[in-house]
Amino acid sequence: MFGALLVAGIVHGLIIGLAALAVTLVFGIARFPNAAAGDTMTAGAYAGLAAHKASGSLLVAGGAAMVASAIVSLLGYLLVFRLLARRPVASLLVAAIGIAFLLRAALGLAFGHQQQVFQVPLAWPVEVMGLRIPPMDLTLAGVAACALAAAFGVLYLTSIGRQMRAVADDPDLARVSGIRPLRVMVALWLLAGAAAGIAGLMLGVKTIVSPEMGWEGLLTAFAAAILGGIGSPAGAVLAGLLLGIAQEVSTPYVGFTYKIALAFVVMLAVLLVRPRGLLGRVEGLR
Amino acid sequence: MTITRRLALGAAAGTLALPNVVRAQAETFRIGALNPITGAGSPYGTGMQRMIQAAVEAINAAGGVNGRRIEVFAEDTQTSPQAAVLAAKKLIEVNRVRAILGTWSSGVSLAVIPLTNEADIILMHTSGAPALSTPPANARNLGYRFQATNDRFGRAFAEIAVREGFRRPATMAFNNASGIGNTDGFRRAWAAKGNQNGEHVIYEPNQPSYRAELLRVLATRPDVIVMGSFLPDTTIILREWFQTGTPVKWIIPGWAANPQLVQALGPAVTQGIIAVESVSNEGAQAFAAYDAAHRRAMNNQPGAANAYAAMTWDMATTLALAIEQAKSFETAAINAAIRQVANPPGDQVASFAEGKAAIAAGRKVNFEGASSVLDFDQHGDVTPDFGAFFIEQGQINRRYIVKI
Amino acid sequence: MEAYLVAIAIIAAIYVLLTLGLTLQYGLTGLVNFGHVGFFAIGAYASALLSLQGVPLVACFAAAAAIAALAAYPIGLVALRLRDDYFAVVTLGFSETVRLVITSERWLTNGVQGIPGIPRSFAGMGVGMPGALATLGAIALVCMAVALMLRRVVRSPFGRAIEAIRDNEDALRALGKDPARFKIQVLALGSALAGLAGAFYAHYITYLSPDQFIPLVTFYVWMAMIMGGVGRVSGAVVGALLLMLFLEGTRFLRDLAPDLISAVDMASVRLGAVGLALVVFTLFRPQGLMGDYTRR
Repeated sequence: MFGALLVAGIVHGLIIGLAALAVTLVFGIARFPNAAAGDTMTAGAYAGLAAHKASGSLLVAGGAAMVASAIVSLLGYLLVFRLLARRPVASLLVAAIGIAFLLRAALGLAFGHQQQVFQVPLAWPVEVMGLRIPPMDLTLAGVAACALAAAFGVLYLTSIGRQMRAVADDPDLARVSGIRPLRVMVALWLLAGAAAGIAGLMLGVKTIVSPEMGWEGLLTAFAAAILGGIGSPAGAVLAGLLLGIAQEVSTPYVGFTYKIALAFVVMLAVLLVRPRGLLGRVEGLR
Repeated sequence: MTITRRLALGAAAGTLALPNVVRAQAETFRIGALNPITGAGSPYGTGMQRMIQAAVEAINAAGGVNGRRIEVFAEDTQTSPQAAVLAAKKLIEVNRVRAILGTWSSGVSLAVIPLTNEADIILMHTSGAPALSTPPANARNLGYRFQATNDRFGRAFAEIAVREGFRRPATMAFNNASGIGNTDGFRRAWAAKGNQNGEHVIYEPNQPSYRAELLRVLATRPDVIVMGSFLPDTTIILREWFQTGTPVKWIIPGWAANPQLVQALGPAVTQGIIAVESVSNEGAQAFAAYDAAHRRAMNNQPGAANAYAAMTWDMATTLALAIEQAKSFETAAINAAIRQVANPPGDQVASFAEGKAAIAAGRKVNFEGASSVLDFDQHGDVTPDFGAFFIEQGQINRRYIVKI
Repeated sequence: MEAYLVAIAIIAAIYVLLTLGLTLQYGLTGLVNFGHVGFFAIGAYASALLSLQGVPLVACFAAAAAIAALAAYPIGLVALRLRDDYFAVVTLGFSETVRLVITSERWLTNGVQGIPGIPRSFAGMGVGMPGALATLGAIALVCMAVALMLRRVVRSPFGRAIEAIRDNEDALRALGKDPARFKIQVLALGSALAGLAGAFYAHYITYLSPDQFIPLVTFYVWMAMIMGGVGRVSGAVVGALLLMLFLEGTRFLRDLAPDLISAVDMASVRLGAVGLALVVFTLFRPQGLMGDYTRR
């Protein structure tokens, strides 16, 4: 049973990790917790669903989810967040909530509130080293691994990725080094959006697609971003995995209803004991 | 619908008159249709509202009640108690309705019933919570429940489990009043039959995974899992279950194990699921009339797809017959007449027109509704029959009827 | 009609009280509280449960405010150590945890079944208009008292100190004042107002269940505050009234032109309008309708 829960936790954790990656990138560079990340995920899930219906291919669906979420994310930056760059963080937060509501409303109007599902073939589990693993979990883990590899490739192997990390480390130093902020920000929002899109697609394939799906998981994604250390992509993924596994494995002991609160308790403990998270840098606290 | 169309045209033509003024020519009997158009009840709410309107059209076509037309004012509860309270206030105070029909979730009905009691008007609802039967909620006996209580659902589940020869049932419940009510009702009824209850898990809505919950239940090796669940969570749970490869049977409420579930999961996953639903009174004449109206109003969807819409259809008809019987528009008289027109003995009638004629001829009538035979007990609750539906090759087939 | 208007006025006044609490916390002190509904819920349940034990209503209301303030104390301690953005996420998590506890602890709160039959405020004055008017009068008095108090607070040394926390905390510290004490006091006071609003809500609606306390309520209050004008007492009142006009106005829109938009879409439109208001006001009119044009 423990092994089965572990497998479930890893898949669950990969979804949280991808969502947390989207949150932490924005948090580290644009410096605010983007509450619209959850609904950006939902947008990706719907785009993926439409593409999957049209093509029948999960690969195409993944591409559509990434593109749609990246566009939504970029539009949010260009139309709203860019104009608020010098405002207090609360303004950005409130605007992000506003964008989240707008997105959800638009999705509800466009697709209705009835649940929709990805028509994927379900199969009985395969035995891997004595563990019974549903094939869908393997597929989803593969998708997540590819997405993460691509994201980290962009961050660590390309020039724009290095610039992004430079801005995250020290925006002023990056500016005087001649890094053009607009280009970096556009790349950042595209990348964060794409990560959210894949997370939304995975969540949609695993569960159901509805306009509320992304918002529900937002708190867990925030918790993972904070646990991993703000601005640390690797930390976000690691923390997502930890939270996913913890939620699955521990709930038989703490009770099923408090499963959601677990993420919050972890987040609070981290903030009070080790505010820079698992892999984060020292953050200025006040 | 014709009324609203005319209204819209009136407004568009720039008469700028308030709705109440436009229709003030002849006095009408006003009722409120307070349905869950949005929120968790949205799959049913629109149909419920349309069927109140359709039933009222039929009543008005038959000459109205006591010579007056019935007029419907529709509002959305948003499946939220706070929004429902304000909507009910508006219906009562602004539209001056004399009865409210069709609240759906227990939370909404519990929040609205103090207002209808206070305004001395009747509330007809489809909620399952037992608290709605008794004081303080139903202190004035003005509340009527057209749906089986959750407890009765649970008893029907237990009957079916016995009949199918299950020995070790486990239960899983969505954490809300209805989900827990169903499984608690089952566990009580199961224990009352001298049986041992199995594992019981209550789960939260909107989870990305239910595997921990599922594995806990499956680890106890039940032969059947009885659910108190809704469509989205049932979809996710059955998906995860199928991928564990563990054989088990399922007994699921009909509002969750419905054609949408089959469509979402396919015939392989849903094979052998037992869906339990209070059966609409399908053989009855009233059901045929309701079904035709439902198909007209709802894009040719069959009436059996929305059991709650059949209940709201019956609400309007029952209320109208009671007014006709009472020969009065006073709440106390109407309230006293409801059991007279709905319960036996009496001539079985299937429509308002038929009942009106019989009442005019001085006969005692017994309305047999589209949703059930509609016999109210002393709490204003009905005891419908339950159907055991088996999902086979993607088809939902009724095998038998359970009476409790 | 009058009774409906009174009903709307009562709910609006409850939102005014909530908005005043948030104005104190965010508008004046700069604490980004995204968990307001949690304290609202605590007040509502505290008062409802006590009243069902036979405690007189006046004592219940006082207890609701006090318990909500007490619940804010540990959150205040946390707030001292966190940046604005972290604090926002923590308070959001707190309010969701409150809702989960209410959902799970059936022995205390009756869980998802909810608590029916909560005594109505001023039930002794008879049901209907007299009682409702008395309730409205009471909550309006409380709102006025709170508004007056806040106005005085703004002009007091305490007010200058908390505004300094918002504008420049380091300067305050340099003056030898301890921002921590002020923050905790402000959080507790704002939460007490939310708790009091919760008590009024509980004894007006007379039925409580956990699903009435979702985060959307918090953001309704934020919307009211931002539309009215952040940090303005008059803004809180105007904003809450606008919010009610918007929430209830959509009903009459459908009465007048039912074919314009289906009721199912109305929920999405309502949510979208809240979102749009939050974005547009933040972008173009951060000072709100009643805002001070000379500042920020």
